Amino acid sequence: MFYRLLPATLMVAVMLLWGLSASAQGRRVTGKITGTDGPVPGANVVLKGTQTGTSTDANGVFAINVTGTNPVLVISAIGNKTQEITVGNRTAVNLTLEDDATALTEVIVTGYTTENKRDNTGAVSTVKAKDLTVIPSGNVEQQLQGRVAGLTVITNGQPGTRSQVRVRGFGGFGGNEPLYVVDGVPTGNVDFLAPTDIETTTVLKDAASASIYGARAANGVVVFTTKKGSKTARKLQISYDGQYGVTDPGTGQEMLKPQEFADYTWLAFRNSGLKPGDRGWGHPQFGQGATPVIPDYISVGGTPGVTGTVNLEAERAKYNISPALGGIYQVTRANKEGTDWYKAVTRSAPIQRHGLNFSGSSDAARYYVGISMQDQQGILINNNFKRYTFRANTEFDISKRVRFGENVQLTYRSVLGQGGQQDGQGVAADENDILQAFRMPTIIPVLDEFGGYAGTAAKGFNNPRNPVANREGQGNNQSAGYSAFGNVYLEYEPIDNLTLRSTLGGTYGSGYNVGFSRLQYENSENNSAFGYNESASTFLAWTLTNTANYKRRFGLHALDVLVGQEALNTGRGRSINGNGQSPFSTDPNYVTLSTVSPTGRIVNSGQGLGVNFSSYFGRVNYIFNDKYIFTGLVRRDGSSRFGANSRYGVFPAASAAWRLSSENFMKNLPWVTDLKVRGGYGIMGNSNNVDPNNQFSLYGTNLGNSAYDIAGTNSSTQEGYFRTRIGNPNAKWETSVTTNVGFDGSFFNNRLEFVIDVWRKDTRDLLYQTPIPGVVGTRYTAAPSVNVAKMRNQGIDMQLITRGRIGGEVGYEANLTGSFLNNRIVALAGDQQYITYINPGFRGIEPIRNQLGQSISAFFGYQTLGLFQSQQEVDAAPRQDGAGPGRFRFADLNNDGRITPDDRTYLGSPVPKFTGGLTLRFTYKGFDIETFGFASIGNKIFNMSKWYTDFYPSFAGAAISARVRDSWTPQNPGAALPIFEQASNFSTNTQSNSYYIEDGSFFRLQNLSIGYNVPASALSRIGMSRVRVFISTNNLFTITKYQGLDPGVGGNADTNFGIDVGNYPVTRQVLGGLSFGF
Amino acid sequence: MKYRQKFTILASATIALSVVSVACQDKFLEIPVTAQLDNSQLSSKAGIEGSLISVYSMLSGRGDRLASFSNWVWGGIRGGDANKGTDPGDFANINPIQRYEALSTIGDINGTWVTKYEGISRANATLRLLALPTAVISAADKKRVEAETKFLRALYYFDLKRIYNNVPYIDETVDYATGIEKVTNTATELYPKIEADFKFAYDNLPETQGAVGRANKWAAASMLAKVFMYQKKYTEAKALLDLIIANGKTSGGAKYALLRSFPDLFKAANDNNTESIFAIQAAANTGSTNNANPEFDLNYPYNTGPNGPGNCCGFNQPSFEYVNSFRTTAAGLPLLDNSYNTGANQVKNDQGVPSKEAFTPDAGNLDPRLDHTVGRRGIPYLDWQDHPGQDWIRNQPNGGPYSPKKFTYYRSDVGKFQDNSSWTPGYTALNFPVIRYADVLLLAAEAEIEIGSLAKALEYTNLVRNRAANPASFVTKAGAPAAKYVISPYPASAFASKESARTALRFERRLELGDEGHRFFDLVRWGVAAPVLNAYLAYEGPKLPNTLGGARFTAGKDELLPIPQTQIDIQGKDILKQNPGF
Repeated sequence: MFYRLLPATLMVAVMLLWGLSASAQGRRVTGKITGTDGPVPGANVVLKGTQTGTSTDANGVFAINVTGTNPVLVISAIGNKTQEITVGNRTAVNLTLEDDATALTEVIVTGYTTENKRDNTGAVSTVKAKDLTVIPSGNVEQQLQGRVAGLTVITNGQPGTRSQVRVRGFGGFGGNEPLYVVDGVPTGNVDFLAPTDIETTTVLKDAASASIYGARAANGVVVFTTKKGSKTARKLQISYDGQYGVTDPGTGQEMLKPQEFADYTWLAFRNSGLKPGDRGWGHPQFGQGATPVIPDYISVGGTPGVTGTVNLEAERAKYNISPALGGIYQVTRANKEGTDWYKAVTRSAPIQRHGLNFSGSSDAARYYVGISMQDQQGILINNNFKRYTFRANTEFDISKRVRFGENVQLTYRSVLGQGGQQDGQGVAADENDILQAFRMPTIIPVLDEFGGYAGTAAKGFNNPRNPVANREGQGNNQSAGYSAFGNVYLEYEPIDNLTLRSTLGGTYGSGYNVGFSRLQYENSENNSAFGYNESASTFLAWTLTNTANYKRRFGLHALDVLVGQEALNTGRGRSINGNGQSPFSTDPNYVTLSTVSPTGRIVNSGQGLGVNFSSYFGRVNYIFNDKYIFTGLVRRDGSSRFGANSRYGVFPAASAAWRLSSENFMKNLPWVTDLKVRGGYGIMGNSNNVDPNNQFSLYGTNLGNSAYDIAGTNSSTQEGYFRTRIGNPNAKWETSVTTNVGFDGSFFNNRLEFVIDVWRKDTRDLLYQTPIPGVVGTRYTAAPSVNVAKMRNQGIDMQLITRGRIGGEVGYEANLTGSFLNNRIVALAGDQQYITYINPGFRGIEPIRNQLGQSISAFFGYQTLGLFQSQQEVDAAPRQDGAGPGRFRFADLNNDGRITPDDRTYLGSPVPKFTGGLTLRFTYKGFDIETFGFASIGNKIFNMSKWYTDFYPSFAGAAISARVRDSWTPQNPGAALPIFEQASNFSTNTQSNSYYIEDGSFFRLQNLSIGYNVPASALSRIGMSRVRVFISTNNLFTITKYQGLDPGVGGNADTNFGIDVGNYPVTRQVLGGLSFGF
Repeated sequence: MKYRQKFTILASATIALSVVSVACQDKFLEIPVTAQLDNSQLSSKAGIEGSLISVYSMLSGRGDRLASFSNWVWGGIRGGDANKGTDPGDFANINPIQRYEALSTIGDINGTWVTKYEGISRANATLRLLALPTAVISAADKKRVEAETKFLRALYYFDLKRIYNNVPYIDETVDYATGIEKVTNTATELYPKIEADFKFAYDNLPETQGAVGRANKWAAASMLAKVFMYQKKYTEAKALLDLIIANGKTSGGAKYALLRSFPDLFKAANDNNTESIFAIQAAANTGSTNNANPEFDLNYPYNTGPNGPGNCCGFNQPSFEYVNSFRTTAAGLPLLDNSYNTGANQVKNDQGVPSKEAFTPDAGNLDPRLDHTVGRRGIPYLDWQDHPGQDWIRNQPNGGPYSPKKFTYYRSDVGKFQDNSSWTPGYTALNFPVIRYADVLLLAAEAEIEIGSLAKALEYTNLVRNRAANPASFVTKAGAPAAKYVISPYPASAFASKESARTALRFERRLELGDEGHRFFDLVRWGVAAPVLNAYLAYEGPKLPNTLGGARFTAGKDELLPIPQTQIDIQGKDILKQNPGF
């Protein structure tokens, strides 16, 4: 009941406060405050030495009664330097404020309110718009990497990929994505945003700042606002930003060339106790002899290992690569120099980005129109990203107190050839074409003698598939996403200082995809039919927000009260998809779902109704005398995601700050420009990690899970119904309790600034599917999510900025962000020690265990003590299946004399202990040099890719890494790799163990650019306001000990990441660009 | 004052709006479920029948390749019929299993558990639906559905019993939140429960069924008889087996009879024949390969190109030892003294011989069933081509020279009884026989040997043997038998004593039912697993040193799989007692 009355109560409080605003006496002075962008509304105007004050209205106009003989007004506003003005005898004073670009005076946009960071009590970071554009990534979230202390981004090199973006750790076992808010409209995804459209980026990290988003705040909130027309009348301004460049794929891992590959195959035989002449000695290509013979042809009509000349003309007559015409007949020459498969599947990939903006305003209307395009090719063949956007933001003053506005963006987005689940996020864990490139023996050429694809159909090379053929086979695929995102709003100021705002926002999205799969002939394991799939989807999400904001200064008191109501639906929509095989013609212009073979043609569809939220919130911010700042906020959310029993959650937070620098005892420390200590405590919620159906017990049918051909037709099935879900009507919000203590300091007249936050976030009532025993019938039944587990994240976020001049001409600025993170699972259901159902398997190796006391997604397995050096050592060691000289020796952790599963242990965590970024910027006359580096330290990577390339029996015959040159032999006892041999057992390549664990720390120079700004004097002659040219290189180098292609190894789930099967690397780019405005 | 009035109006309006929206809020926060059903919707006849269908559907394991009733790993590979084959790195979890080094943590050991219990859970759900007061179903249908459901439940428990021995007995009276996790794996003797369900099915099922895939009365009788045999309840078994042989008929109404031609058993076009007592119904091109023998998708020759079936992945390669066992004497009888593994009795093979080098297949006497069961070099592989040896073998040093054959598809089946919709074409519409008439005859012979007439046992065994000897069924090449097939019925002398009859019968089961998932369970129920399998390993180990070298079967331990560690971790050691030795 209390909470139902809360909005009304707050409203009454506002009224009372309004009533209290008694009038003052004295001489009346009016004025107008302007900034570089026009009138400054909400600027504080205080009569110096008194508690009398006011603030400017929407037009920057103020009126104040002044007393005293020599009245001085102190005027402060967000983003501007505080200035004093002596009134003298004047009755009207106008003032133009100077911009103040220091970090501590940045604008903080929470989505509901805008405030000055100086007055903020929470943990909030902002990112400069410019920083989001320097690297032309396809998804703006990637640009947050290293820019914000406390925000971890793990990403990969695919254009337009999604990334693992986490604010202050991993609150739960899933659904840890931050909430994104764009122009006040919440959304789960910002891949549509054009960086050139973005005006401000604010990251709300702790409860004191983010709890205003209540149930969706626990993972942090990233608030973007897009550009608007300026508030003062200004003629049309046009600006263009463009860049063009190339992404270079770099080099792959070194693989053995054909002769060495054959020699090592022979070594594997010898190391396995074989002698020439024994059964099992030999290879279809390299013969049976004591030394291998490299053939001239690896296949002549299927015959492997052909040495000598072949009558190619005679063979050409027999050549056939179409199964429809009978047996395959290929002639494939051995590539004795060795094929660089990585080079073959990659390319130097062009990238271009252009943005054209128009903005302007009249007295009563403001507009911003942005058009952008990005066309970025990935380094893999047929991996392409395209995005075209159109944005129109307008605002109209209907009357002096009523404003109407809208922000809308139309987007076309196409991503082709992307790998990895979760829109590319999981690419590292896939057996993708990059892994294939390191599995294809170098002796196999890309093409056969007559132009068809070559591959492992030539005997003896096991099962890699020609990755070039795989990639080129995707050339006709299509992918299109169309979306509209935006809002309309009405603002009304019924009285001074009170703004009522109503916003209706939403997202409409639809997509259409078409994909083809080749009928293959070149591989040992082929797709045996030409396949086709087609899918479409559409959805609509909406958010309705109503707020009332009262902002007023009463002398030394400043009050900012916000109350609001919000209702939203996360998106309802439908999808349809179909697939089939073997159309009469494979011409893409012929193929549709109607023209594929009716046999096995399948069409499915789905629908979703989204999740509804209904919320009320309020926030009070009180500042006394610019010294003491208090903020209290509370939000109550109701969500359809939960059952009626526990549908509502309340999320309060309180915080306070004390500006020491405003105290008298600090005044004699002139080098302290500003110093503030902050503290906050509060509760945030999360409901992402629970299915809206969790509240219900459900039944369903599924062709793959429950159908059966009871009638014995051989070609059709009947529907079976089974329990799909066991419900938990009592599930409720996950609750994160955060404590945050921070300091904001600015010294030497802003030449040095620092922000430091020490924080802890305890998540309780963590939702996860409590393990239910198999006897319940769990194969296809979703277990209920129950609020049982606990997680702790804690850390330190820091930002240090120093700026100044060296001599007269050279300006510099250094911006260092850094964050330490510790993540730990504190409690699970009952006495569970680990989450039993998360055991992702990679070729039989299960490297992950989410266990108590360790981080999420911790690595798990046997601890190796190196390699057995001799049979005597084996005999003396604890009993270990398959033990032998040169093989792994595992630690007997429980000292029971044998190696059993009980000896498995924690092997490391993929969660970085520290991430940070450093931006350095130097200016000299019109030139500027800027560089940005990113470091991730203290995380481990499970380098699963080594399993494929470093062990002979992991698909014997597939490519071998050059690393095996340092494999164990009695003569090389200190080898890094175990003995290269045929045996596959517990002691060789079948177990998760610490051999695969590598240090994933790295430092990458993400960006180095040199720009030149044409001097204003020259510009004015040609009527331009700005011209800049630059060249830059991205990812110039990466310092790491990691042996894989790239240490940025993410994953598609937080309980399962950091495993590198075939990571798509972030590689070097060289770009040039031009910007101008007039 | 003016503003104040305005504001009051506005504030009142806002408050009113808030109150209205609060009132609507509860409804706003109710979002219906899409594309799913509530349990109450299943109490119709269609719902109950559909619930039963879902119980049948779990028989194939639905993509958990080791959890199917085909038991090609648990019954076949562990029984020495085959080794995992393929490459060491592919499906590496089977490597320790075939070496009897299974760890309780292997995911597939948990997978089989979970899949069988999924079947049981669905059976119990069906029984609960039937008991609902709202159930809309005729008495006759209710009886039939209940009987079919109990047949299936007993089947799942029978496999659990054979594979793990002690498992919790869960029936329709317990479920999630009603104490299911507290049921121990030692509380209930399973065989009486299994017998009771099969008995119920036998008593209540009709002889013929509207759909041929349904279990009927005689299927229930046959399974009940088999369960009796597993318990050495020969009297009960024999009585029932006599009845089945006299009166048994298929769900389609045909009297049980052996097919004339052995290979016809393994053609999809012949599904649900007179020998099919109960089979997993497979169907191709249904929209999910889970309906098309998903457990066999890897069990094909390797890298065949379009001239061979499957293309992938070379699993389940018949063992040298098993192939040798098809050696016959000049009299057309097997070498019951196990001398088939010595000297020239061993079947000649192409291990280590590249396909491009000449090879002449074995010229000695062989049981013709060898070439219906095993793909070997130089012998036609169904209607595809001669098996080329090494070219179709993924990794000879790892898996030996042979390919599986019984459950592969013919070239003429492509696209019709075979499904191309997945990454490998190895999905077929060929039913897998859970129990077939030859199995029943051999069980009857076994019962006769133990407590009845040796002559009768001889008669039953020779029925099976004579069918195999039908020359029309031999694999031919260029119009002549592809190898020297010499097979004769056992003479009476072979069944002169219980011991010799037993030896012959057990050998016959191996030859007839090879690669059908029976061997390991037979060895265990006969109590000979340790000596037989250690002899197998002693022979096979040196042939495949990296695969089986040094492996050992431990009596008293390896007869069973460990209880999955995951389940123990969830339910507790006091609820699920681990099997001895693990």
